[in-house]
Amino acid sequence: MDDEPIVRWYWIGDHLGYLGHLLADHAVIALVPVLIGLLLAIPLGLACARFPRLYQPLSAVFNIVYALPSLAVFVVLIPYTGLATQATVMIPLTFYALAVLLPTTVDGLRAVPESVRQAATAMGYGPWHRLTSVELPAAVPYLIAGLRVAAVSSISLASVGALVGRGGLGYLFIDGFQRTFPTPIVAGIALIAVLALAVDLVLVAARRLLAPWAVREKGAGS
Amino acid sequence: MIRFEGAGKRHPDGTVAVEGLDLEVPTGRITVLVGPSGCGKTTLLRMVNRMVEPTSGRVLLDGTDVAKLEPAKLRRGIGYVIQQAGLFPHRKVIDNIATVPYLLGWDRKKARARAAELLELVGLAPETAKRYPFQLSGGQQQRVGVARALAADPPVLLMDEPFSAVDPVVRAGLQEELLRLQSELHKTVLFVTHDIEEAVRLGDQVVVLREHGRIAQLADPHTLLTTPADDGVAAFLGRDRGLRGLGLRPARAVELRPVSDGLTYGGWELALDDERRPIGWIDRDAVTAELHAAAGFRPDTDTLRTALDAAVLSASGVAVALDADGRATGTASREAVLAALRPEADRTGGAADSDVADSGEADSADEPDRASQADGADGG
Repeated sequence: MDDEPIVRWYWIGDHLGYLGHLLADHAVIALVPVLIGLLLAIPLGLACARFPRLYQPLSAVFNIVYALPSLAVFVVLIPYTGLATQATVMIPLTFYALAVLLPTTVDGLRAVPESVRQAATAMGYGPWHRLTSVELPAAVPYLIAGLRVAAVSSISLASVGALVGRGGLGYLFIDGFQRTFPTPIVAGIALIAVLALAVDLVLVAARRLLAPWAVREKGAGS
Repeated sequence: MIRFEGAGKRHPDGTVAVEGLDLEVPTGRITVLVGPSGCGKTTLLRMVNRMVEPTSGRVLLDGTDVAKLEPAKLRRGIGYVIQQAGLFPHRKVIDNIATVPYLLGWDRKKARARAAELLELVGLAPETAKRYPFQLSGGQQQRVGVARALAADPPVLLMDEPFSAVDPVVRAGLQEELLRLQSELHKTVLFVTHDIEEAVRLGDQVVVLREHGRIAQLADPHTLLTTPADDGVAAFLGRDRGLRGLGLRPARAVELRPVSDGLTYGGWELALDDERRPIGWIDRDAVTAELHAAAGFRPDTDTLRTALDAAVLSASGVAVALDADGRATGTASREAVLAALRPEADRTGGAADSDVADSGEADSADEPDRASQADGADGG
């Protein structure tokens, strides 16, 4: 790479459409699993808060999943979901997102002060009703803090999917490396950073909107 | 009426929280359970709304065993106020107050209108409605907590150390507010505290508890302070019981001397301004016309304790009775204040404990000879 400049701007100009396509693919592969993870984490978290005995085994399972190298999981899934399909990459990413979101959901539900919980019970909320209309809304800042971590790590992990043929912007790294041509690598890094930053800003705005009462609490895991 | 019939609570590990208590909580009055931590007072309170199930005996609410009622339904009919207020952090004040009406299925508009009424009732500004709990002071949060408990107009109110987490000045304000509310609403209140001062201030009847929910004494505050059942209760009541007891009796029982110009009290003369407000005491024997402190009390709202305090603070040993505008309406020496303690004077003071709260006869200061009338009646 000695004579090669870090960025050849004409290449970027020539490939804008291609880069846009990869960016969109990357966003879908990385973020849909986070959304599915959230949709699973909420009922699972509520169940764990209601029946605390569930939480230890469940979180142990997800911690083990989280510890598995993503590439290995992709490869294992190929026989079932196919090479270069979105599912091959999105299924493991969903589990990773869930591994982050389940503990934050449960922490958020548990973080509701005991006095609030007792007041709710004393006013005639049943256990489930209380969880969904008192503890869950009060856990929103925690959920969003968890989403920020899960989203950023998912955006980063998704590039590894390029090794099994479906990695969105990750493909640029393989391409650049194989051709000893740094421009796509730089473009890929920049776009991933922009995507991560944009998603994070959206989540911060969502927190302001959904939990205006929590602006003062900086410590909600964020 | 709430009635505990041998109500006891034994935990699964065998420890006994409450051995078995018999107690009647009369309708429309404030009953205070007071005792050291671990005496089971909160456990007893929670038996009423089934947040604790008794392991022996039962609790009756207006004759019905609460164990036969569906918990959620039962609780929606009982107001509950706790120490940390326990407001929902994610709901605005107005929606916090409207919680039980929402649960009862009221429509939003009606529930919020009711909540706004209560906001006013507990003395909070209308603009508080749109705030979130974290934007309120501790005292304001507690007021919202009381409003929330009253929202569906429950006949019974359970209060678990509601004012013990706020500073003493705010606490005194909240206690006064509760007494004012109670004089309008006449709820059946069961109030738990570890603060004996609070107990005698608020209670129509005070239940002093020992460990395992054993009743050490059940009495009205005045009886409790003057005749504790045993040394244990006396120790729990603490020092200065007698003086504190004065705080339960209305100052209107004090016989006042009319104020007239040039009147002296052992060489002291009361100096008044043009509006007849006291300026100070002048020592007639002194060379200079120096003014000495004159302390006053309001016979219609203050207690004997305040009156005696005023007399002690005054250079002349004489307290000045004031009307609402601060004008002198009469005077009372230390002896005159203490004379109001005579049993016959006590009777004119009426049922001392409840009368302090509602200033029924506001102009008793204009009847300086009440006590002597009672004297006469007694003699005849």
